[in-house]
Amino acid sequence: MKHAFYYKTEKILTNTLIHIFLISVAVTCLYPLLWMIVSSLKTQDMIFKDISLIPHQFRLENYVQAWKEGGFGRNFFNSIIYTVSVVFGIVIISSMAAYAFSRLKFVGSKFLFIMFMAAMMIPIPGSFVALYVLLNKLHLRNTPIGYILCMINVGLSTSIFLLKTFFDKMPKELEDAARIDGCSKIGIWWHVALPLAKPVLAVVIVLNALTVWNEYILALIIFDNRQFMPLQVALQTFQGEFVTNYPLLMAGLTITALPIILVYLFMQKYIVKGVTQGAVVG
Amino acid sequence: MWFKNVLLSVFVLFSLIGCSEQKMETKPTINIWHWMTDRDPAFQELAKKYEALTGVKVNFELYAPSDAYSQKIRAAAQGTNLPDVFGILGEKRDFASFIKAGHILDLTPYMEANNNSWKSNFFPKALAVNEFASGNSYGITPGIFGVPIDIMTIQMVYNKKLFSQLGLNPNRPPKTFQEFLDIGAKIKAAGMQGLVSGWGEVWMIDCLANNYAFNIMGKDKVLATIKGEVSYTDPDWIKVFSIFKQMQDSGILAKGLVTMINKSAEQIFANEKAVFAFNGSWCVNVYKGMNPNLEYGAMLPPEASNQYPIAIWGGAGSSFMVNARSKNKEESVKFLTWLTAQDQQVYLAQATNNLPANKDSLTKIPEILAQFARGMDYATHPNVWGVSEFSLVIEAFDRGIQSIIIGEKSPEQVAGEVQKIKDREMAKKRAR
Repeated sequence: MKHAFYYKTEKILTNTLIHIFLISVAVTCLYPLLWMIVSSLKTQDMIFKDISLIPHQFRLENYVQAWKEGGFGRNFFNSIIYTVSVVFGIVIISSMAAYAFSRLKFVGSKFLFIMFMAAMMIPIPGSFVALYVLLNKLHLRNTPIGYILCMINVGLSTSIFLLKTFFDKMPKELEDAARIDGCSKIGIWWHVALPLAKPVLAVVIVLNALTVWNEYILALIIFDNRQFMPLQVALQTFQGEFVTNYPLLMAGLTITALPIILVYLFMQKYIVKGVTQGAVVG
Repeated sequence: MWFKNVLLSVFVLFSLIGCSEQKMETKPTINIWHWMTDRDPAFQELAKKYEALTGVKVNFELYAPSDAYSQKIRAAAQGTNLPDVFGILGEKRDFASFIKAGHILDLTPYMEANNNSWKSNFFPKALAVNEFASGNSYGITPGIFGVPIDIMTIQMVYNKKLFSQLGLNPNRPPKTFQEFLDIGAKIKAAGMQGLVSGWGEVWMIDCLANNYAFNIMGKDKVLATIKGEVSYTDPDWIKVFSIFKQMQDSGILAKGLVTMINKSAEQIFANEKAVFAFNGSWCVNVYKGMNPNLEYGAMLPPEASNQYPIAIWGGAGSSFMVNARSKNKEESVKFLTWLTAQDQQVYLAQATNNLPANKDSLTKIPEILAQFARGMDYATHPNVWGVSEFSLVIEAFDRGIQSIIIGEKSPEQVAGEVQKIKDREMAKKRAR
């Protein structure tokens, strides 16, 4: 009886501690989002005077103003095009490359793979000027295709690394079976490897979608023409050197964050699987 | 006869085509790249006015934030894709490297044409930032290479309402350091916050300390110290360090000042929770956004000595440069001349709350801006001194003042430590 009470108390205590920890982590993650949404409904001076999380007046017009002043319509469309194109390009190229690195034996494969991995170590801002000069020589500067190619290049290394790790652990018997059924190498990649790699692909999609969606410095450097700029550049309109228009910035950020939150929600189950993939392959 | 008619018709036709081609000759478009988000709407408005006036289209392209803009300018310089007009952010050596690479037009002939008519419009200290004097250490041919669009000064501001609550005259800010300290005692008694500033971002401490160094020992001795000819343990420097101890002891400094970032300081002052602030003229725009009803005035830091005038940091806020390789450079210079003329400068100041670079514009701008602009008479800046202190010495100097404020070290201790680092750096320099 005494033991049962002890164990019950211990279980309650442990659960309480775990819940307190998890709740505090959740609050830490959610509070900035909540503050962003609340601030997007206030006026500039109310942000500095009133720190409460429930504004006295809900200024929904901030969203309309942010959309109009930031020129979000065109930029939103651009960001969607860039994100979809870049993620599609990365998924196709990196999955093919990773499969080749994992399964095909060719001269210099290890060296090439190491070169790709080395590219992961180069900080992106360090390559901006070089990329600019290269695009300039190829006459691709100030063109969407130039930007898309650069961003595909930025995401390839990590994606190849993730997918190769997965393909290395994939049972070869599955491929043998497909080969007996008459599948070519491309057929095996398409019909066997890619469907099995869905969870890792989800991670690749989310990671790269996030990178492209939030990128603005390279876009700012490559594009001279505002009509090509992505959404994040429009957000900078509200952020001055000394003065920031917080209500419009927060409204803009809320609009900007929505699509990426949706991508997360849509792919949530695959992401969890992808992260733990090493343990379940085979 | 018909042949003559045909010939005549052909002649008339060609003449008409020739004429129409001449009529179709389009005026150039001037492309300007900038990073000034808060000034963009005003620039766009002025561009429209200029086009209506001259037919020349001016295309202002905003690339913010400023660090991304800097990268874009550097990349564009590498690819020789710079626009007709642009600004350079960074130190004077960055500016010099652009000139050396042939990217920037020497504006001296334009500035000095017609008996200095353009040059004389500006505050001389605003031009100094864009000027390379003869014998400059960068090896640049002497001349003016940039046009100041606006200016900035860093001064003190005081809350008029809180001044009244303390029984002080809101139209008479303290002029001497002793008066300032006396207000500190009143602030302490009333339980208010005194001076707020971004002293967590240490460069603002450096700025005020230099203001008082100029006031106590004069410019020549300050520069002699930087050159290594005078020691930081000199009694005058001890006086400079002691200024901060005196301020702390009097209660004039707000709590937590040494770790305060400027954004927090601005928020505290705008919410009328502090009597004084030490801030740049950009604060006018910031306070307007945070509290449009704030009643405040600008003042020079109160003098601690009557031997030398107090100095404040100031100069050109933002400047534009003309691309030396641009085919529109003449039109660009014409536009910049127009942009810096009195009417346009007044409009810019009123629309953006920045101080005009044109000194004739002061009478037509809000009083608080004029107060800041009048401080240009006392302005100086490390960029125009011609000598610069070692960064490790500056760091020790600023951190030392923070230690004095929190009571960790005495002025003498800090002076000794700073001098020790100075000696070490000088020895290293000599060894090179």
